[in-house]
Amino acid sequence: MSTDITALQHQALVYDSLDEYVVRAAAFLREGLEHGDGAVVAHTRAGIAVMREALGADADAVRFVDVGEAYTRPAHTLAAYHDVYADQLHRTPSLRAVADVQFGPDPGEWDLWTAYEAVFNESFAHLPARVLCTYDGSRLPERILDAVWRTHPTVLTEDGARTSDCYEEPDQVLRRIATPSAPLPQLRSIGFGRDAEEFRERLAREMNLAGTPAGRSLDMLLAATEVAANAVTHGGGIRDVRAGSAGGRFACEIVDAGPGFDDPLAGYLAPRAGSGSGLWIARQLTWSLEFFHGPRGFTAQILL
Amino acid sequence: MTGLARLTADQERDLVVAAESGDLDACRRLVDAFIPSIAALARRFPDGIGVQRQELLQEGVAGLLFAARRYDPGLGTPFWAYASYWVRKAMQDLVAELTMPIALSDRAVRGLSSIRAARDDHLRRHGTEPTIDELARATGLDRDQVARLLAAARAPRSVEEPGGENRDGAIAEHVRDAHAEQAFERVLDDIEVREVRDLTERLAEREQAVLRAHYGLGTPAQTLQQIGEALGLSAERARQIESGALGKLRSALARPAPRPGTT
Repeated sequence: MSTDITALQHQALVYDSLDEYVVRAAAFLREGLEHGDGAVVAHTRAGIAVMREALGADADAVRFVDVGEAYTRPAHTLAAYHDVYADQLHRTPSLRAVADVQFGPDPGEWDLWTAYEAVFNESFAHLPARVLCTYDGSRLPERILDAVWRTHPTVLTEDGARTSDCYEEPDQVLRRIATPSAPLPQLRSIGFGRDAEEFRERLAREMNLAGTPAGRSLDMLLAATEVAANAVTHGGGIRDVRAGSAGGRFACEIVDAGPGFDDPLAGYLAPRAGSGSGLWIARQLTWSLEFFHGPRGFTAQILL
Repeated sequence: MTGLARLTADQERDLVVAAESGDLDACRRLVDAFIPSIAALARRFPDGIGVQRQELLQEGVAGLLFAARRYDPGLGTPFWAYASYWVRKAMQDLVAELTMPIALSDRAVRGLSSIRAARDDHLRRHGTEPTIDELARATGLDRDQVARLLAAARAPRSVEEPGGENRDGAIAEHVRDAHAEQAFERVLDDIEVREVRDLTERLAEREQAVLRAHYGLGTPAQTLQQIGEALGLSAERARQIESGALGKLRSALARPAPRPGTT
């Protein structure tokens, strides 16, 4: 019988040594395995090797994820985990996961991954999963470790699980670290055309002129189709489409005629009943998707 | 430093972005430009740690391409300053992975503890990182044991020997390397197989043909009428095939996880 859980429990563990990580993460996973939970471990290949060794025969029941593949952009990471979790939840009624977040060397991107941790709470809120995010306290800078308490409702300490008293709602975290967006002056108007088909034809023509690889062009066509559908359904129609190369990337801006929305979590919620998935698709296929009020109207800016 | 001194900052940015976008030629040019720097990092790992130089180089190339997929030029950090972290980390992880089991024994933990104490003592006395030989002398462990334990504990800096002929990193980073060239080819071949993202591969052949032809994806763009004629179909049927293909991709990308109690 699996552990009784119906929604996400997002916890953190700051470890001082690899030994501590192994002992506590293995115990966390074993407890779940004994109760019929599925188990997922995401770490570097070296970390995976350690966990395999520590779990022994139990490792056969664990799904391992190489973080070197998954941690490129937050939306891509969420999509990668969603695939793994969905797959696992087809086999077991609930799951436990241990994930070592990859922050990287550049302080400029730490906020991005802190935001990822915040968003995680909402992305998978509906899933019966206990997710333990692990942080190497001996190597990570103070700023990242401080953020652990703001992005995880519960943190495991030597004295057991402690409810964070400085946890922030994910949308608050996102709002605080957001940087303002603006229309890209390099783009030119291509209009929407009669329908989605003509819109894609126009966009494809621009990408071909820009030399975008064919596989990536399809990513943009799908993403832009979703964003445009959203603008038609909820934004009162499309006022203009602009496209072209900017900063080395192909970009598309869709300006709609509606009042816009103010939801920093848009496109970050994993697919679920009763919720649209268009922006989720758009985010996982592109480098970035931003929404802002521009001079010509509410604008969705997609960078490939 | 930059491995792309002959390029402007914008050209370097465009190359990294193109590599991130799955342009294999850009990947090759990027790796080609940085392979001397990768090789220089690989040379900082001593012999005798149970990891072959070729393996280190391959991991380094994979680390560079991972960095390209994640690098945000908007942050203003030079690419190599950013990527070298991931290159070094990939090599360290490989060393740790291949030498890991020893780190799990009680004996290894005690060995590591004595190494750390020796390192701290050396730092206090001399203000510099000890070499592996110095740590071996201080702990009574043999040189190979020290190297393996350090690698397993992911204590990388002391493993990366700055000494010997590679002391001058500026020179070492520009030395061509036959092993590096092989690593470059092997990793890129591997990437070609598994990393190029092309959603059309999820579709049936006819669906792929319609989408590619209609939107000019790797082939001249055609109207649905032309595509239909080429396939012996009506334009409307070609449109339906396209619509079905887009719907199929959409469903695959938005597949929800099962709800609790449904499995």
